[in-house]
Amino acid sequence: MKWRDILDRESVLAPLLLLPVVLYVLFFVGFPFIMSFVYSFSNITVGNPDFKFIGISNFTDLIQDRIFLKSLANTFIFTFVSIGLVVILSHILAEILIREFKGKWIVRFLVMMPWTAPIALGTIGYLWFLDSLFSPIDWLLRRLGLLGKPGAVLGPMSNMYWLGIPELAMASVILVHVWRLLPLGTVILIAGINSIPKEITEAAQVDGAGYFRRLFHINIPLLFPVIGVTVLFSTLFTFTDMTVVWVLTKGGPPSHSTQVLASLAFLKGIQGGDLAQGAAIALFFFPVLAGLAAIVLRLAKKAVVI
Amino acid sequence: MKKRITRRDFLRNAGIGAAGLALGPAMIKDVFAQKTNRRTLRILQWSHFVKRYDRWFDPYAKQWGEEHNVDVIVDHVGLADLRSTFASEVAAGKGHDIVEFIDPPSDFEPSVLDLNDINQEAQKKFGKQVPYATRSTYNPNTKKFYGFCHGWTIDPGDYRKSLWEKVGKPDGPSTWEDLLTYGKRIKDELGIQMGIGLSQELDSNMAGRALLWSFDASIQDENENLVLNSKNTVEAVKFMAELYKNTLTPEVFGWNAASNNQLLIAGKASYILNSISAYRSAQKDVPEIAKDIFFTPALKGPRGTALACEHVIYISVIPKFASKNADLAKQFLLDLSKNYDRAMWESELYASPAFFNTQIPSGERGYMKLKDAKTLRDLHNAWFSEDPYALPGERKDKLLPLKDAEKWSTNVGYPGPANPAEGEIFSTYVIPNMLAKVAQGKQSAEESVKQATEECRKVFEKWKAQGLIGKKK
Repeated sequence: MKWRDILDRESVLAPLLLLPVVLYVLFFVGFPFIMSFVYSFSNITVGNPDFKFIGISNFTDLIQDRIFLKSLANTFIFTFVSIGLVVILSHILAEILIREFKGKWIVRFLVMMPWTAPIALGTIGYLWFLDSLFSPIDWLLRRLGLLGKPGAVLGPMSNMYWLGIPELAMASVILVHVWRLLPLGTVILIAGINSIPKEITEAAQVDGAGYFRRLFHINIPLLFPVIGVTVLFSTLFTFTDMTVVWVLTKGGPPSHSTQVLASLAFLKGIQGGDLAQGAAIALFFFPVLAGLAAIVLRLAKKAVVI
Repeated sequence: MKKRITRRDFLRNAGIGAAGLALGPAMIKDVFAQKTNRRTLRILQWSHFVKRYDRWFDPYAKQWGEEHNVDVIVDHVGLADLRSTFASEVAAGKGHDIVEFIDPPSDFEPSVLDLNDINQEAQKKFGKQVPYATRSTYNPNTKKFYGFCHGWTIDPGDYRKSLWEKVGKPDGPSTWEDLLTYGKRIKDELGIQMGIGLSQELDSNMAGRALLWSFDASIQDENENLVLNSKNTVEAVKFMAELYKNTLTPEVFGWNAASNNQLLIAGKASYILNSISAYRSAQKDVPEIAKDIFFTPALKGPRGTALACEHVIYISVIPKFASKNADLAKQFLLDLSKNYDRAMWESELYASPAFFNTQIPSGERGYMKLKDAKTLRDLHNAWFSEDPYALPGERKDKLLPLKDAEKWSTNVGYPGPANPAEGEIFSTYVIPNMLAKVAQGKQSAEESVKQATEECRKVFEKWKAQGLIGKKK
């Protein structure tokens, strides 16, 4: 049999075409994951690749570690507040963007921008927006008389110190993360809304159902699998991401006010040199996240069926 | 007739293309190397704060290569990426032959060569090294030099003379108490705050250590015993809370390493703790502010102790995986020390030598020769007495208070060595957090010190178990 005949067979060609992806996943996802798993049960440091196994002590140490527990709480706050805002805002945006209006393309382009720009670059832009000295937001607030003079609503100080006050810093990282995730949520919801059969909404309209009745009794129930995909995908994404936090606050202001698990893993594992502890932090919620990923896949399948 | 591309053609051509892309550069390099029989020395270091230094160093390294029949490749990465880049090289067992850090890389000791030989040779050739450079490269427990230090950077106080004059202190602060007394008056009367960081960043780490040492406290003693929880530490923490309340603003909790420079250059800070790079930036960007910036040595604490942390310490390591090029790497490092007058000059005096008694090489050196200068010490004294980079019309003696900076500068880990426990505590910002929590009013000084000590204890125990600290008799 000639090579050309072999390659023409689907049973050969299909695996061959899939091979690069499989190899990529194995080498760049599977292998590092297995290494992290092994490291989390060891005493490995960044400076010494030789290690010995020390059982589960990295994990038991974490449970007693005040900074880890704080980072865990921060991760939940960061994730759930971000996702809540993304779901609400992306639904509003999707409702707007499925309608025809003048200048729709520019609005759609601007909404999609955060998704196309590298996140580190976008966040550096926000670093300037939230700067303790040169923040244009603060400048605007001062010009509006809301800040920087005795009796001003936001206080007499010249700046808000967005990244220096713990509560404002957490609000800042959440808002930047929402800005980043909003396009994804919006696109998924637009696809979902467009997939709702028109005759259902038209029939409801004929029966006299108003906008909010249609929204809460028809659209949202029918969109539930799609919203589920958005929520779970965004949750996975947020839970494992450190870019926004690291660029804006490095986990600060003291003491670890915006530190999340992903940034703490980097701080301890790479900066601090304790690779084993870093791996343990990164893997601590793997079982929960793996479960979430499985639900995402099931919901995605359901959504496709609709 | 248009030729049809079949799936088979596509796969074959794509395969050939991919193989060519993957193997091409390596094959060309190998063939070229065999033909010329030249070795390659690869250097990894940070992108220097003073761009002029890199513009000098890269051609210098290439020129050195030409003289030794070696291809020298210099790669620069951002400061924040240096550790992670080298960590991945260690894990891969492949990478650069020389890696230059700006803080002591003591946790990499098991993966780097013992540089005892060049450290001894350098001391023979260039004289005694400043002691904190040795404490930042030598592990007394394993008796190993894990690095070679050729230079360091002074970390003085930078103050705005016009502001301090107005409150009756024209020569700036000389004690921490002065900062509180006069800094408060400047803030209250002139509306200008001070700029000492209490954040998770480099300069806050330096400031926190300077404060502790000047209050006769430290994280460890000279035998690497944890001694952070002391009444002197509590006193220092209480002082910082007072200093924050009276002279700083909440912005210092959210700062990055560039923030205090920005504040000073914007004319919004009466005093910051930073190297002279902040002043050099001001000379280029805002000359009128630069002319008003003057310097103080380390500030005295309540019992007269005055110490500051080196701002940057240049430590090169040679990884074990690069042992076949170790001879070249060592020669390069020794020659760099020999030519350190150029490093001082090209860094605009940001870099100071680790070997002050090095003889100045003869010939053209790229700067105006000084008649009586024979050693780097002579150059240092002359340049710090009369700053060659002063702006026209600017006072030239501003750097004079920094002339004897090696007397009041010390290393991370003082009074002990810069061991991996101190490194981890430094890199995870335990000290700025300890100080900030009290300044924010979230904890008492006693509680905060106790909690920080507990964090440090775990770190010390871990590195003791690794055999890298606490074995020295």
